[in-house]
Amino acid sequence: MTYLADLSMTISLILAMLGAFYAIFQINKNSITNVNILEKASLAISACFIFASIVLFFAFWSYDFSIKYVHDYSDLNLPLFYRITAFWAGQAGSLLFWALSLVLCGAYYQTTNSYKSLSKETRAWYFLFYFAILAFLALLLSTYNDPFEVLNPAPNNGRGLNPLLQNPGMIFHPPLLLLGYGGFTIPACLALAQAMTYNPQNKEIAWHISTKPLILIAWLLLTAGIVLGGWWAYMELGWGGYWAWDPVENASTIPWFFGTAAIHFGFIEQYRNKAHRFHALFMALTCVSAFFATWLVRGNVVDSVHAFGSGGVGPFLFTFVVVSTLVSFFAILNMKNRGENFSGLETKEGFLLSTAVVLISISIIIMFATLWPVISKLWSENPVGLQADFYNRVILPLFTIIIALLTCCPWLSWSQGVNKGKYALVVLVSFLVAMGVFWTMFNVKDPLPLIAASISIAGIISWALYFYSVKYTINKLSPVLIHISLAVMALGVAFSGPYKVEQEVALSRGQEIKIDTFTVKLKELYEGRERTGRYRFLEAELIISKDGKEIATLQPQRRIYENFSQNAYAEASTMPSLGKEFYATFLGVDEQTRGVLRLSVHPLVNWLWIGGTIMSLAPFITIYTMRRRKENKKEQ
Amino acid sequence: MAKRSRSIYLIAFLLFVGGLGYMIWSGVSQNGVYFLNVSEALAMESNTLQSARLFGTVANDSILRPDDGLGATFTLEDANNKSQTITVAYKGVVPDTFDVGSEVIIEGTFQQNKFMAKTLMTKCPSKYQKENREKNNIKNG
Repeated sequence: MTYLADLSMTISLILAMLGAFYAIFQINKNSITNVNILEKASLAISACFIFASIVLFFAFWSYDFSIKYVHDYSDLNLPLFYRITAFWAGQAGSLLFWALSLVLCGAYYQTTNSYKSLSKETRAWYFLFYFAILAFLALLLSTYNDPFEVLNPAPNNGRGLNPLLQNPGMIFHPPLLLLGYGGFTIPACLALAQAMTYNPQNKEIAWHISTKPLILIAWLLLTAGIVLGGWWAYMELGWGGYWAWDPVENASTIPWFFGTAAIHFGFIEQYRNKAHRFHALFMALTCVSAFFATWLVRGNVVDSVHAFGSGGVGPFLFTFVVVSTLVSFFAILNMKNRGENFSGLETKEGFLLSTAVVLISISIIIMFATLWPVISKLWSENPVGLQADFYNRVILPLFTIIIALLTCCPWLSWSQGVNKGKYALVVLVSFLVAMGVFWTMFNVKDPLPLIAASISIAGIISWALYFYSVKYTINKLSPVLIHISLAVMALGVAFSGPYKVEQEVALSRGQEIKIDTFTVKLKELYEGRERTGRYRFLEAELIISKDGKEIATLQPQRRIYENFSQNAYAEASTMPSLGKEFYATFLGVDEQTRGVLRLSVHPLVNWLWIGGTIMSLAPFITIYTMRRRKENKKEQ
Repeated sequence: MAKRSRSIYLIAFLLFVGGLGYMIWSGVSQNGVYFLNVSEALAMESNTLQSARLFGTVANDSILRPDDGLGATFTLEDANNKSQTITVAYKGVVPDTFDVGSEVIIEGTFQQNKFMAKTLMTKCPSKYQKENREKNNIKNG
């Protein structure tokens, strides 16, 4: 079976390369006669990748430790759920999963009506770009990152899955990102294809309309992946922080910012018939930046807390990123500018443009800052890197600008000035009131958190009012929810970042300590074994009280897993709250049998997860309304 | 676009780029630190090097933990050249995966040939060498 799976990788590599060459050949011929072969090749490649994925899934299912990848990431004790999801625990499997998500999107797109509306020429170009990407992934999978490497003789048991990955949050974080990356690829290929073949006479459905469901789904998956990553770092790693500006975290946000910028250019294109080139370019760059992100993470470029094996793919990925960036720019320059000039800055158009510019700036700054240790070598003998404070200083104000822009946007007209001034005034007043309340009642005196939090409140009110002013039209519900949830998340960041209280303490039994408004008492220390025997644990029992009243008992643990017995893993325990969340991590027991604990208080942190959840789900409403509109049209 | 709005865009863009440029410049000058491995850090003159982020491996039998359980003193050796070492003192919570032989990332400052680390992070170690024994410390749990 592994032999067949290996073979299917090679076949997809050959098919994708032949397909790409055939597409070039067709394009050069002037009259394109035969795209049928390309379509069939695409389906055949999809079948190959699906087959290979099924083989790998089945190998995990059936404990086939003769496959090195299965041996490395699972063992006989691993529950079925984690055995299946161990598919993407390593680099080779992740790449295969990425390719799988790409071919599923591609195969689905081929069946849609909008695909059928494309001219033969556009189809040939589309397949050229699509096959080039598939060929690249197939090349990696059949050389440096072969998931089907065989161990001979087959070991009796595997090495097991890293305990940090044995958590529902973590196990869905990587595939969400990869599905997002895969989803943006189809719109990007199509955008470039239509850029190459643009002709005002043809009746093709524009790429951003025909692939809108894909764009939305890719965006929501990417959003969910990033939010889940933050939640995982906060809850599961016991770091007590959700974002550390580590290179690996930064990498995942780059495609998100480009993608979100592209979507905002998309509104200008959709409603004003302008910004076509920016729109297409940034959709293409979203796709390219997914590979850039992978290069940052896997290419051993910068040292990160996250350790991944590089497996020699660095130079390949880098070359691919450079070439595809050049191709994107070339394709876009080929497209003639066909929109009118932009309206003034004080209009909705101006604000959408500004939003996109700020989003792109954030992405580029993150990109360069992450690469700073490499870049600084140009003039400095020793590499200089940037600490987390750099990002907090530069990126957070930019975020505040974005919240400010989105707060104003509903009250601007497309071509001139303020619209519905009455509502705009309410929003302005709410901003001032919020500022006063935060200043006096919550004692928020630092300028950035104060402004950011007040604007967030104004933003929430602004979009809620907007929804009221459009008479609760369901078509507007999704943007309303997304912008409100972003403002809610900003509110969470504005408080949980600067106003977190954290203390590391050693407590003997019965000892009490005060942290922020809470009093914590160590009641007892326990040790034991989990029922199924997967791990042993130490546990601290903490009594939390506030104003003399006991309000909760927390039991943070420290676990030692069977196959990873050399290390202990912290299982944090929290007292969930929409206000101040109390958070405890058990770090161990010292020589005098005192419990060593990290205790922290995180104000409004849960609004991040609430906002993030709403944000990731809201695009489904758009997809639903689009379907309904389509059906209505059909009935008429 | 009208001449007026074009110049407004231009002014807004220049303001944005100017403000951003200033923030980035001040950020780079204040929050930029050397990212060094041990041999690079030793090669630099100590007066030019104050704060840094160091990469290295924890040397054998070098970890000393204070009685109160927080922090550790250890020898950091260059990942490629074990004869190059720096003594590191760290106050704060030692991560779960910290042990002899683990690859660590530390941030802090040099003070009299000793590196005072403010943060200590570990990368996933490639091999483990010693059993973690703190579980024995609990009696009558």
